[in-house]
Parts: sequence; structure tokens; C-alpha cells
Amino acid sequence: MTPPVFNITPELFGSPLIKSVIKPDILVAKGDDYTSMLTQVVESLGGMKAFVKKGDKVVVKPNIGWDRSVEQGANTHPVVVTQIAKLCLDAGASKVSVFDRTCNEERRCYNNSGIRPALKKIKDKRLRIEYIDDRKFVSVNIKNGKTLNEWSFYKDALKADCYINVPVAKHHSLSRLSIGLKNVMGVIGGRRGNIHFKIGAKLADLNTVIKPDLTIVDATRVIVRNGPQGGNLNDVKRFDTIVGCVDPVAADAYATTLFDLEPNQIKSTVEAYKRGLGQMDLTKCNIRHLKS
Amino acid sequence: MSQLICLVIFLFLFRHTDYTGNDTIPYAVNILFRLDPLVLATITLAQKTFVTLLWPSFIIIGLTLFFGRCFCSWICPLGTLIDGSGYFIKSGKSNFSLPYLKYIILIIVLISSGFGVQLLGFVDPFSLLVRGMVFSIDPIINYLVSLVFDSVYKMGPAALSDYTEPIYEWLKIFVLPFKQSFFYLSFLSFFLLVFIFIMELFGKRFWCKNLCPLGGLLALISRISVFKRLPIRSCKNCELCETKCRMDAFDKDHKFEFEECNLCMDCLEFCPDQITSFKFAIQKNNTQINMNRRQMISAGLIGLALPVLSRTNAISKTADDDLIRPPGALDETLFLASCVRCGECMKVCINNALQPLFFEKSLEGMFTPKLVPRLGYCEFNCTLCTQVCPTGALSRLNVEQKHAFVIGKAYFDTNKCLVYAQKKSCIVCEEHCPTHDKAIGFNEIKTRDIQGNLLVLKQPYVKEELCIGCGICEHICPVQGSSAIRVVGKDNKVPSIQYKSGYE
Repeated sequence: MTPPVFNITPELFGSPLIKSVIKPDILVAKGDDYTSMLTQVVESLGGMKAFVKKGDKVVVKPNIGWDRSVEQGANTHPVVVTQIAKLCLDAGASKVSVFDRTCNEERRCYNNSGIRPALKKIKDKRLRIEYIDDRKFVSVNIKNGKTLNEWSFYKDALKADCYINVPVAKHHSLSRLSIGLKNVMGVIGGRRGNIHFKIGAKLADLNTVIKPDLTIVDATRVIVRNGPQGGNLNDVKRFDTIVGCVDPVAADAYATTLFDLEPNQIKSTVEAYKRGLGQMDLTKCNIRHLKS
Repeated sequence: MSQLICLVIFLFLFRHTDYTGNDTIPYAVNILFRLDPLVLATITLAQKTFVTLLWPSFIIIGLTLFFGRCFCSWICPLGTLIDGSGYFIKSGKSNFSLPYLKYIILIIVLISSGFGVQLLGFVDPFSLLVRGMVFSIDPIINYLVSLVFDSVYKMGPAALSDYTEPIYEWLKIFVLPFKQSFFYLSFLSFFLLVFIFIMELFGKRFWCKNLCPLGGLLALISRISVFKRLPIRSCKNCELCETKCRMDAFDKDHKFEFEECNLCMDCLEFCPDQITSFKFAIQKNNTQINMNRRQMISAGLIGLALPVLSRTNAISKTADDDLIRPPGALDETLFLASCVRCGECMKVCINNALQPLFFEKSLEGMFTPKLVPRLGYCEFNCTLCTQVCPTGALSRLNVEQKHAFVIGKAYFDTNKCLVYAQKKSCIVCEEHCPTHDKAIGFNEIKTRDIQGNLLVLKQPYVKEELCIGCGICEHICPVQGSSAIRVVGKDNKVPSIQYKSGYE
């Protein structure tokens, strides 16, 4: 007798019903060779071709929010971003855009995060590292929103054939942690300061609009205090972990445990779960630790 | 030819007065001001010390000692632009010549600087030029170009913008500034600059021969130069060189005035008999300087009066704590003495956060930079403004020094702050505070919201000893109107009269 095989594809995750039936895979890799860890994670999720079809326009959305160096851990690690971009290119994407709406001055963030210089080394015209173009923010009606009914979003993010969320996991003074769901802040317009009142519920609302096909959480070096910006190297710890999951809520939920916190302590995770965006109960997830 | 090269260099440096992915600017973008002997003279008098940054001006002094006022027609970008404007502005025949004015302006500026009020920024040709370009021309051009492409992008068919967008992108990389900039005093700077060109209606190079104090200074130096135009007067039957000379370098007796000649060498071409020549020659000056003693003394007296006027101005008695100077700024008195109002720091400011003062500090402070946090904050790791200052009014800082340099202090307005006044959760200021040991902390307090429900709130506060006044908190504060956390500048007041020993 062979056990039934569930062919898990991103499309399947549309309805909360299916999500509660099947167990999302959470892939966890530990080690110091981030490139191969990442490749393993993506392979175990079915390979990049499961997400990126030939000719797709892909958005890779790292966190490039701050004018901080790689060691300071406020932004996604450039190695993680470049490797994902490479995998997307290899899978036959027609365009891979990397962008983030930054908090500090964008050119400084892009350069000092190491992400722009690293991506510039890949000589491929399909790969674009772009600064945010204010003309591309469009107003979106948030149908399933409970606290937000309307907000402006970045057109490229809305129109992507495949959206890969590549957040960095870090401490956040207001929302406790900033992981995948919080990373949506980088594709929205408007005065983002206004999001901070009832931030959990609002983040969940925003995430009903932007649904990543794949979430890769960078927990290689992590700000454990004084986030989201950090700066002090004493506040940075090495977790050397990369988490991959197609379920954005489960990805956050698992990454939360790395900080010795419970998923239900993070309001955005709870709210997103309530809206049926994914699974936060880790007992109902299939956590697979990869051996390196 | 050299004119064009210098203009291109100038425009190139102007465009590169910006962040280019490097923490340091690879070019000496401020070189124009450091070449300017008038800046050297004024700053030395005002500061009573020699500013080593200004050594390149000795090159121009040396050049002038040899070749006379060649700077004005070979190098000066403003002169080149004025010459170029001749295609659009037809100069009338000028009977209207006031060559002594430039000496008067020169004397006023120098004397007044020596006694404590430095107003060079109003008359130095490069201050006027660069400022006009920074505050008005550059933003205008970018605005108009972007308007065209944006209109196509927003309203035109997609097929058309597929063609225009790559052009726009290319322009953005090579020609346009990275971002649209916005400045106070855009009108004033624009009209000051345009006025120089409008004056061309009264004669070619009207500004240069009548008003430019740098021209005046170079004219004085050039009186002992050795490279001269001959003959020393126009020929009686021709006078073509005299009537056509754009600098009006001949006096009433048709004598040639060496110091007024800017060596454009046009007269070589239109002399019918090819008599004119430029030669190395020890030649005695055959004319007097275009200024009489009475004019000189009046100018000196005005120069003396300005500092007294400034000291009796009520502004000198009021606190200027809403004035946040850029990082690296010298003490206020010395800063005002050193700043040439060139606008370079405001041009390079990566967040468009530095803005020119208007009358907040009376005439003395006009066009000097201040941080306006609500428009933009001082980027924590950025030191660009301290690198471009030509006179060291902003002393050069490395990143570590910058992190420690205090430009102001933040304080909360608890009547507006969402947490204090409305019991809403919001610590955006704390999130953005960039100091490595956070200058904004928070306490978790138990309180009741407006409906009376119990809740736990994170209530922010400023750790004054850690705050450097960068203003990102004020910039980012989501409260409507003026921010609920504001930065005040350092108290720069120095007692105007200091007694050495007091009563003993």
C-alpha cells in the first residue's frame, strides 16, 4: 500500500478549507553555507520550477528597509537574495524584479545592505534591482479588510506572476517581531506610520491583498533587541537558519519559535490566521529539518 | 574653447554633487569656490585665520599675476553663460557704465567681513550662480522634464510610454538629478540669477565689468600682470577695438585699461590692420583705477556700518533654538563668518533636508543652511554636506564623528503624541531612531483608553544624552501637521560683549 500523495502547489492554498486539511511543509535549514542551504530548501519544496513558470514576471521582495550593513542584520542577507534571484532566472523567469520601499534613503539602503552590489554582479538583463517609482502606487480596495478598507499598493507587486517574499526575521519594538507578514510594508504607499496603530490587524488586512507564492525567511543573523533597525552589533545573534514555506503564516509562526516565543504572541500572525491566510498551529504543519 | 571645457567641467561637478553609492564624493565638487580668490580674501578676513581648504585660489592669483583678468573669460562659468546668453539677449549700445561699482562692492564686503558681518554670498558670482542653479534652475528642469514623461506615462497609451520610459530612465542616470528637489527661496534665487542676465540688455558683460566684486579683485591684481594687450590706446582713425570691446576697457581718452580687459582676444580678429597683439611686456599702467577717493571712503564707511547694524539688530538678542545647523557646523559666529552661501550642502543633502534661511537671522543669515526635519531628516550614516563645504564652515566629519555630532535635541509634545494624548499605540519614532544606543526608549504603562478600557501601552521618551538631533523622529511622526516630537537646535548664543576679567 502506498500512502496517498498530495501534490502541493501554490494554487492549492487559495481556500482556508484546504489549508486546514493539508499540512503545509515548513523547511528548515541550519548551517553557514547559506547558498546551498537555500538551494536545498527550494529543492525540497519542489524546486523553483514549481513556483516560477517559464516567462513569468517574478518579484523578489527582500527587506532593504535600513541604511545598515550586512552584519547589523536589519536587512535581508544579500546572499539569500541573490541565490533566490538566480534560481528564478534558472527557472526561466522573463523578468525578476527586486525592490523595497525603504525607510532610510533608498540609494544608501540598496547599496549598504549589500543587496544592490551583489545583484549587480549577476550579469543578466532579466534581473532588475529597482528603486521604488512613486507613480506605480495604485489604490486598492481591501475586500476582506477589517480595519483597513483601502490602501495604495505597488503595481509591480500586484501584477507579479510569482511573488517571493524574502523577509529577514528580527526583533521589532512595536509588533515584537518583524518577519514575513510585516514585510508587506515595503510594497505599500501612503503614510506608513498610520499602520502602527492596531498594527497586527492592519498587517493581516494588507496581506489579504499581497499573497506570496513562497516565503523564505532569512534568520541567518538576527536582531534580538532594539529592532527593527538595530545598529548595535551586540544586539545581533547568529541563528544561521533559513526557513522556507509556501504558507506565509506558517513561515512566520515557525520563525517566531526561533526567538523562543509562541506564534500566538505575535498579533499579525494571529490575525492573519483568523483571516484564513494560513496555518499558525505548528502541530498541524509538517516541519522538516534539512541536514546539511 | 577653454570656456566651454570649464563650463562642462562645472556642470559635470554640479551633477555629481550627490550621493553616488559611495560614502565619499570622489570629485572636488566644490573646487569653483576654492579657486575663488575673493572667497579666500573674505574668509581670511572674517575668520582671521587662513583656511587651508582654499589653497587652490592661489592658482588663480598666480594666473592673474601673469595673464591678467583671463579668469573672467577663460574659466568663469558664469561669464561663459553670460556670453552664451548673447544669442538670446541682444545688448544695446551702452552709454551706461559704472565700473567703480565693483570696487565699492568689493570694499564693502571685505571691510564688513573684517569687522564681523560677512555678506559675500550676496555678491560672489559663484554663490549667485550655484545657488540659483541649486534652488531653482535644477529643480525646474527636472520638474519640466519629468512632467513630460509622467504625462505620457500616466495618460498616454502604453505603447508610447514603452518608448519614452527607457529615455526617461537614461536621462535620470546621466542628466537629471536622482530625485526632484524642493527649496525655499526658489523665487528669490531664481530672480537674483536671472537679473544678472537681464542686465545684459544694458551692455555686454554688464555684470562682469560693473558689479562683479571678484572681477574687481582680479582687476586690482592684474594691474601688475605681465601679459598685456598692445597698443595701449585705440587708433585715432579706427577705434573699432574700442567700440566693439565687450568689457569697455577704454577710458574717455581712448586709453586702454589693462585691468578691465578680460583677455577674450576678440580684438585680435577684428582689427583691420592686425595691429593688436597680446605680449609679455613690462608696461606701466597708463590709466588710474576706476574709482575715486570719495567713493572708496564711502564704501569703507558702509562696510564699517554693516557690522554695527547687525549687532544692534534685535535678532541678536533672541534665541535661535529652532535653527538646526547641519552636522559639522562651526560655532554660530564662526559659521556665519565662514559660510559663503554657495548652497552646495543643500544640493548634496541626500534627503533634501537642508534648506536656506530667509530673514530668520536677518540679512546675515540669509541663504545659510538649516535642517527642516518635517521636510527631510539628517541621514545617520551620511557625511556628504561636510565634504562639499568649500570653506570648512561645516568641518569634514568621518562617519564615527558624525554619529557623535549633536545638531539638536528632540523633545515630545505630549499634547499631540498619539500615545500620550490619544492612548493609541505608536512608537514609530523609537523604531526609526538610528543611534546605536537608542536615544528614544519606552516604558510599558497600564492605562485606560478613551473608552475607559484598560490597556498596556508603550510610552516613548527621549534620552537626552544620547540624542544627536538628526530629526528622523520628527520627520516620520504620523501626527497631522507639526510633529509630536520636535528637534530644537543647540543654543548658539554667545554673549555679544565679553569682559575679560569682569569686576575684581
